[in-house]
Amino acid sequence: MELILCFICLLSLFSLVLTVPGDHHGDNSTRHHDYCVLGAGPAGLQMGFFLAQSQRDYIILERNSGPGSFFKRYPRHRKLISINKVYTGRRNREFNLRHDWNSLLSNRPNLLFQRVSRDLYPEADAFPHYLSMFEKELGLQVQYGTDIGRIQASGFGLNGNKSYILTDQNGEEYKCRVLLVSTGLWVPEEVHFVGSDLVEGYESIPTDPEEYKDQAVLILGKGNSAFEVAQSILGRASRIHLYSPSPVRLAWQTHYVGDLRAVNNELLDTYQLKSLDGLVEGGLEDIAILYFTLSELLDRQDGNRSTAITAENLPGYHDDNFSLRQPYDRVIRCLGFRFNFSVFDGSACPPHSSTARGRLPAVTAWYEGRGTPNLFILGTAAHSRDYRMSAGGFVHGFRYIVRAVHKILEQRYHNNAWPANKLPTSQLLPWILKRVNEASGPYQMFEVLGDIILLQGSHCEYLEEFPLQALPRFSALSGRHVSEHGLLIVVMQYGLNRTDTLGPGRAESEWTKAWKSNFLHPVIYYYRTVPTEGDMRRRPVGWPLPRPDAVHHMVEDFLTEWDQPVSHSQPLRRFLEHCLHMDLRAFYAESCFRLSLTSRKPPLFCRQGYLNKEGFVGNSHLWQHAREAGLMPTHQGSVVPGDDGSFSDCLSHAGADMTSTINF
Amino acid sequence: MYCLLLSPLFLTLKSKLAIRQLLSRLVVHTAASFTENMVSGRTSFIYFVKQANPTVKTFIEQLEMSADALEDYGILIGKVNCSEETIEKYCTEEEVMKKIHLFRGPDVLRSFDIDTVFDVNAIVSHVLFAVLFDEVRCVHTPAELGRVERAAKGTADVVMGHIRVLGLPEHRALMEAAFVYGAKYQFVQTSGTLLLRHMEIADPSDVQACLWFLHCRTVSRLSEPCPHTLMRKPLTTINIHTFLQLMEAPLLTEAAVDPAEVDVVYSHLNVPVIFLFSRPETVHLDRVTAETLAWRLRGEAGLVLIHRDNPSVKTPLVYNAAYRLPQEQSLRYFTLKNVEEVVTLLRDQLLPKEREKQDKEEEIEYDWSGVGPTPLFADVLDDEVAESVYRDRGLMLDMDKVPELTADTFSAAVMQHGLMVVLFYVKWDAVSMAFLQSFVEVAHALEGVNGLDLASVNCGEWTDVCGDQNITSFPFVLLYQPGEAAQPYRGMLGAESLHTFLLLRQDPSPLELSSLAEVASFLEGDLYSRHLAHSPVRVMGLFTSADQGVAVFVEAAKSLRGEILLGLFVNKVADAWTDGHTVSLPALLVSRGPGVQQEAHTLLPSTSQNLAERIRCIVLDTFPELTVENLPWYLEQGKPLLLLFVGGGEGPLMTQPLEEMRMAQSVGQLVDVLPCWIHLGRTPAGRSVLKAYLGFVPPLPALVLSRIGGDGEVFHFPPERPLLSKNIVQWLQRIENNQEQCAGAIPEVAWDPPVPFYDFLAIMDEEAPGYAAQRSPKVKPKGKKEQPAGEARQEAGTSAGRGAEETRQDVEGTSAGRGAGEARQEKEGTSVGRGAREARQDEEGMFAGGGVDEARMEEEEEGMSAGRGAGEAGRGDVCWKRSRQGEAVEGGDVCCKRSWRGEAGGEDVCWKRSRRGEAVEGGDICWKRSCRSCS
Repeated sequence: MELILCFICLLSLFSLVLTVPGDHHGDNSTRHHDYCVLGAGPAGLQMGFFLAQSQRDYIILERNSGPGSFFKRYPRHRKLISINKVYTGRRNREFNLRHDWNSLLSNRPNLLFQRVSRDLYPEADAFPHYLSMFEKELGLQVQYGTDIGRIQASGFGLNGNKSYILTDQNGEEYKCRVLLVSTGLWVPEEVHFVGSDLVEGYESIPTDPEEYKDQAVLILGKGNSAFEVAQSILGRASRIHLYSPSPVRLAWQTHYVGDLRAVNNELLDTYQLKSLDGLVEGGLEDIAILYFTLSELLDRQDGNRSTAITAENLPGYHDDNFSLRQPYDRVIRCLGFRFNFSVFDGSACPPHSSTARGRLPAVTAWYEGRGTPNLFILGTAAHSRDYRMSAGGFVHGFRYIVRAVHKILEQRYHNNAWPANKLPTSQLLPWILKRVNEASGPYQMFEVLGDIILLQGSHCEYLEEFPLQALPRFSALSGRHVSEHGLLIVVMQYGLNRTDTLGPGRAESEWTKAWKSNFLHPVIYYYRTVPTEGDMRRRPVGWPLPRPDAVHHMVEDFLTEWDQPVSHSQPLRRFLEHCLHMDLRAFYAESCFRLSLTSRKPPLFCRQGYLNKEGFVGNSHLWQHAREAGLMPTHQGSVVPGDDGSFSDCLSHAGADMTSTINF
Repeated sequence: MYCLLLSPLFLTLKSKLAIRQLLSRLVVHTAASFTENMVSGRTSFIYFVKQANPTVKTFIEQLEMSADALEDYGILIGKVNCSEETIEKYCTEEEVMKKIHLFRGPDVLRSFDIDTVFDVNAIVSHVLFAVLFDEVRCVHTPAELGRVERAAKGTADVVMGHIRVLGLPEHRALMEAAFVYGAKYQFVQTSGTLLLRHMEIADPSDVQACLWFLHCRTVSRLSEPCPHTLMRKPLTTINIHTFLQLMEAPLLTEAAVDPAEVDVVYSHLNVPVIFLFSRPETVHLDRVTAETLAWRLRGEAGLVLIHRDNPSVKTPLVYNAAYRLPQEQSLRYFTLKNVEEVVTLLRDQLLPKEREKQDKEEEIEYDWSGVGPTPLFADVLDDEVAESVYRDRGLMLDMDKVPELTADTFSAAVMQHGLMVVLFYVKWDAVSMAFLQSFVEVAHALEGVNGLDLASVNCGEWTDVCGDQNITSFPFVLLYQPGEAAQPYRGMLGAESLHTFLLLRQDPSPLELSSLAEVASFLEGDLYSRHLAHSPVRVMGLFTSADQGVAVFVEAAKSLRGEILLGLFVNKVADAWTDGHTVSLPALLVSRGPGVQQEAHTLLPSTSQNLAERIRCIVLDTFPELTVENLPWYLEQGKPLLLLFVGGGEGPLMTQPLEEMRMAQSVGQLVDVLPCWIHLGRTPAGRSVLKAYLGFVPPLPALVLSRIGGDGEVFHFPPERPLLSKNIVQWLQRIENNQEQCAGAIPEVAWDPPVPFYDFLAIMDEEAPGYAAQRSPKVKPKGKKEQPAGEARQEAGTSAGRGAEETRQDVEGTSAGRGAGEARQEKEGTSVGRGAREARQDEEGMFAGGGVDEARMEEEEEGMSAGRGAGEAGRGDVCWKRSRQGEAVEGGDVCCKRSWRGEAGGEDVCWKRSRRGEAVEGGDICWKRSCRSCS
């Protein structure tokens, strides 16, 4: 046994980083901007678009010569695994974004990724190409070749808060009132152990399968990059073992796109069909990661080194069927990337997140760095909010986060309240249905972004895609007022996920059991008052929001079309009626006529339509249906004869006595 | 069986057995005992016999028999032999033999012809009726019933008996019940068919006697009707008693034991018991279903909801219902599909079977089996629009004339055409889909009109088109014309309204007229006569020169395009048209069609918007016929409606009242109200309105004052008075002075949710305890722990040899998972246990409650008879009130000063109804229809 290997690993994660230094010359004068965006990747450009649209003073600083340089290098095997579904059978642009994971948001209907590629899993070069097109067509302010090496906080700025001074490779300073960090994840996650210098990194391995011919390969990691490598060398390598502490998580089981996607999982086949490949789980801390020859081992024992490792305490010594007892020709590390904290000065440095093993900066629910006011983290680096939960680490998720953060910026720095649609309450039902049937933001950023409806009696305000975790700070962040009528929140959610993903009974079809839905389905929460931080912290296990005053699950739909009257629409209407304490049914003008004359205040639908002279008449054919259903009164004998004598007759008849038949 | 019966009734029963061998209770008075009796103040029924003939003999026999019965009610029956004793006035009276008198103390409460009180039943019923004169209300019309109901709401339930003929056993049974329960319920006696129809009896001629229970006590709002239950058995004392007991029994009993073990009060009341089985996941809806069913079967059967979650419920899952017939121990199980089936089963099969005792059970069982268990609730759409559209889901609309615009075709389409009318809709909105039908109708009707096209946009698909057009409500109609901003259609969403609008819009607005001849033609209808059918009203702007604000008028006319036909005449000779009107130019001239007097209004300087509003206001009719289409315009004025309902043909019966109304209006007497009329032939919905106002549909024409914007009171012009203008004005004056009694009230309906809420949270708490619960504040949240327990558990079962951190976390996860599982199990266990205990308690509670009820009823009766006693003893004007418990208590401030003496003296007592609906003396409305006229 020549080689003994142990190691630490992390999940690998697709990430975006901007790193290559440029050599730009500039003078040493300070330049001022309201907004500095660091990095011209998808998140930076996305934010650039929104800042440009609202005509803000902004600059995007990019150290490379073009946008999205991460994608010029990664993924190493050049196949994007973000879905680019061009043909959905629908022409609804908003809906189609649910199945377009690569495009950025803009006001140009044709500025979509499908213009550069129509492949379901496109070639990676297409993405920087698309980004560059996006930047040029929208005329975004990007300064390429500016490598920011140092970020300092300075005590004064907008509202007396912190502002930031950025220094580039030429010593030029940029003073920014608001700093938006969208540098992505760029630093490869490494493991350190004796012999770790012999481990190759994902970032530098050769991509030609021929180089792995007949080799036994150990890949550290079981994420998408590990499987991507395995897939590429499957036809050449003799043995491929994937080693990491946790078992493979399949994206189609966990609904988390960062887990192993089925695109790359051929190795699962060869493993399960016993074709010499395999997955091994191994712990991390107890087992030191060693790589040395037997002679080295003996040397060490002599040399009084600190390690207490002997042949006896190596696993194979005791356990003669230890899985990894055979030697490997190559060890490849595919452990993902981490955020580059090194450019931040102490005062400007966001802390490490508690999730994702501290690889990411910790951010507030509105994506501001914790302890770094006016510094926001965007893009993949902001994934700590919904790590292993939703899509915030991926283009199709964070594009909506960027939009939400931009709305927060507009409110905080420019006093522009969160845009809201003012709707008459009688229009709330169709509007919610419209959103759940097409909205892409809550659909992609499920359980993270939700539509908020502020109830105000006869009217309501509809706010789209608010970050749910920031709810306790709703009024301050959105600039909108919550009335005593309370608020509704529309969220898309996966369900309990307790059943076998492909097994029987995986889907629920009865609306009364909608809360047991396993697939993505709309859930509407009703709160009389805005939940507090404490409520939020103590929310039920697995819930995105605290226990509401009332909740409604719309039963999952196989076609994701929530538009059926019995299963979707009516139960939702009844829920809204409960929350609003009013009858929300629709009425024909004839019914409104009757109700307007026979009750002091007719139902809302009649008040907002009919009495507003916009009543809805219908036709006799429809009325007939309603009458047959017993929902509209019939007018039998509608024409009353004038000589209806029943009234006076009855008076004379009333109380006729029975008289005795006895003859007096 | 009848041991539960209360004592007075028991006595009644005994008296029915009439142990005639016993000494007769008939008292033979002497002059002295008669006087003593008078002084004692007792109620007595005394016959003065002068000579005995066979008829009198028969009558006295009957009288003797009734003495036993009436003694139970504290009424003495006596006779005076005038041949032996001479009592003034009575013995000397003419036809003394034909009369019998009911005395209270020295006063004659009532006298009866002995023809009327010819047998025991007639005697008992008439005497009790007379004694209970103030307790039992006589009601003939739905409106009168409505008043009784209003007074009873929130305080007492109402028992209404329909007695076709007085003096029969049914009448006696009702009176006996009234005597016993009079303090507890408000008794109402009625006859005649009008109320039968009102109570939804299909064939009134078929009905001899029947009884309803009106559940008014639990009705808190005046606007709500009292739900009522019809007694479906013959009117006998026992049946009435059982029925009233059933009405007191809980509507629905819930239990968590097997039906065989359920013992409920219904079983003792000789009615079938129906059991419905509820599953935990549908318990809320099942309860709703059970309640619905219980209401349907109230008085005929008892309903028990069995919770299946208890292990002691052994009924196989295939059945969701069971029943047990009275006097039978065995249960029969079946599977029901809907509420209707149970009602049919009970009414058509079980009850007749019970009577006929024919064994058709197997057949019945067969009918019910073979159907799988279905949820007890039905997913029925309760929205009239949604339901009618849903029923139409097979219909394919012919969209040829309404092309579907897309993002690609939209802008070109709205640019090219003359006028493009676009409907924006979404498919899941029932109103949109229903209106689409009308829109297509309009498109067909307008086919061939040049420069006018209709199209539609499905906003579910073309969301950005709709977003660009700022569409936030559905359906929405926008009008596009090249060079102009899109104009929203703001009118009734109906084929006719849209059609008219688009037609009128074809013409320029205003129409510039150049000569007097053209003006005449415009006003009288020759010009644009094709629009006469759609809009007979024309408005003319008259100006002598262009600098008089013509521009403002033109602007206003543009905004009214499609709504009102407007003409413009700018000419020096324009004032020729205002001859005979006291206005100066510039002015508006309104023509309401050929042959109708034109009106002129001076045009004051204002903005075009205000002017448009003013023109809209001016064209409104002063005595409009209200229709479904135009009501909102008139309701907006906020005035009370003086509403004339007419029906039938167009003959003088209809036109004459209209003329009278116009006359009243022309003398300026109707300024505070909006005189208007509804033709029930053209606007059938008016019939429902009239019925809602008065509680019944009176003969037409009917004049009603509806203070819809004010206090909501409704007044009905007395139908017996001729509808003449002066009477109308007088009547309105009396209403103004509070001299008229209102006939009804427009209820303040809150329009709360129409169905109970399906509470997912409650279901979660029941089925997955803890799943929806907030975490306790002590638990420190960790990122990892936010995963659902299930996921943590999945991780648990993996292989060994992994990092300590992971392992520790996993262990935590596992234990958390297991912990949760255990907790759940425990909780489930507990809840089951608790459920059972609760159920047991419930049962006990129910029986205990039953006992309490009985006890209370007994007490109440004592209270009642005490009250009655006090009333009798006092003999004076006794003020009563009903206490909250329903007892009659003396000395209330809300008192009805009903003096027995007053009645005896035959004076008409004048009453008025106080605001709270109580009868208060001293009003100026005299109570003419006393019960005296009933009998």
